Amino acid sequence: MKAEKYTRYERARIVGARALQIFMGAPVYIKTESIDPLEVALEEMRLGVIPITVKRDRRTSR
Amino acid sequence: MSLSEEQREQISGLGLPQSIQEALLDGLENEQFTKAQFDEVIGQVKSDYDHAGVEPCEAVGVIAAQSIGEPGTQMTMRTFHYAGVAEINVTLGLPRLIEIVDARKIPSTPTMTIRLEPDYARDRDLAREVAWAIESTSILHLGSIATDLAEMNVLIELNHEALAQRKITDEEVAETLRSETGLAVEMRDGMLVMAPEEPSYRELLQLVEKIKRLSLKGIDGIKRVVIRKEGDEYVLYTEGSALKEVLEFEGVDPARTKTNNINEIGEVLGIEAARNAIINEATDTLREQGLSVDVRHIMLVADIMTCDGEVKQIGRHGVSGEKASVLARAAFEVTVNHILDAAVRGDIDDLRGVTENVIVGQPIQLGTGDVQLVAKRRDEVIQ
Repeated sequence: MKAEKYTRYERARIVGARALQIFMGAPVYIKTESIDPLEVALEEMRLGVIPITVKRDRRTSR
Repeated sequence: MSLSEEQREQISGLGLPQSIQEALLDGLENEQFTKAQFDEVIGQVKSDYDHAGVEPCEAVGVIAAQSIGEPGTQMTMRTFHYAGVAEINVTLGLPRLIEIVDARKIPSTPTMTIRLEPDYARDRDLAREVAWAIESTSILHLGSIATDLAEMNVLIELNHEALAQRKITDEEVAETLRSETGLAVEMRDGMLVMAPEEPSYRELLQLVEKIKRLSLKGIDGIKRVVIRKEGDEYVLYTEGSALKEVLEFEGVDPARTKTNNINEIGEVLGIEAARNAIINEATDTLREQGLSVDVRHIMLVADIMTCDGEVKQIGRHGVSGEKASVLARAAFEVTVNHILDAAVRGDIDDLRGVTENVIVGQPIQLGTGDVQLVAKRRDEVIQ
């Protein structure tokens, strides 16, 4: 699985947004034992399956 | 083995700054290495460079402020350093740091470090000649001054040894006095005699004071010059600063001569020299106190101070006072006045900066607050 290059702020936002979705009942993309939405989101982030990305306009991405 | 064209291209393709690229090329030139070693070297340099960089959205300004502010609390409140043999004192420590960020027009103790061309730098006598040519010479250096109350005259007795040493003749002294005061100067038994316009006691004393203040030779602003041997060359330290004039002197090495007056550097050598001067002066002041601050923090401050093409202070009359946003300025000082003036003028605040958004309670454009999330396109989503 390809790991996209995000800054730590972008990772935090993405994981945060995904954890909120999971908390509110969104279907989970991975098989997991965990019931903590944040842990699930982090695991999804690690695997790169979160369907969220960032829009970079003003900056050039590194 | 020298570098192949392909390897050079590989280095320039890394996206490193010019100076690092050059250092890399210099280091690799005429070295023996295999392909794998070459890849390892440039790979390591690239990853170290990326590691040293700062991530987008990082609050660099706040970090710089903290990184300079904290060591600032440990600085001595009032320190004077005696540069060289003795006597020339230079403001250092916290007062000097404040002076630098305040971009004062004239520092409290202006000083210059004058380095000489190779021929002059090695020869003590030549160095001393340059020093005497630069140092502002008053009548008190050359002799004594007295008043004759009976005749209502000012008598100047010149010491001929001092005259010879400073390469000035008594005719020259007389000529300067004549043109500066507009009065007649007579030579009487080796003494210069002058009389004030009105033969009054007050006029006489005023004339004496005026003569004492006159600069007969050298540069007006430079009160003293001290010669000091550093390594195998003689270096001149001055009290007072006049960069433009000093650079024109015979024997002075213009590339290695500096002053601690940042504004003067900005005027004479340009804004980029002023930026470098801010960086050097601030780093030296901190280092002298045994504090080490990463240059990049100081570089950021220097950049902010000079990015408009002139040296601006950090504060009321500079960076903070010239912010575009009303709310940002109001947050800094005299809140009510700024808001009132803005209301009278009908100013508009675009809420682009950090401070304004903190005030109105919105997310700020920093860190996670500056990340815009979008849904991935379907073909981007990993199944």
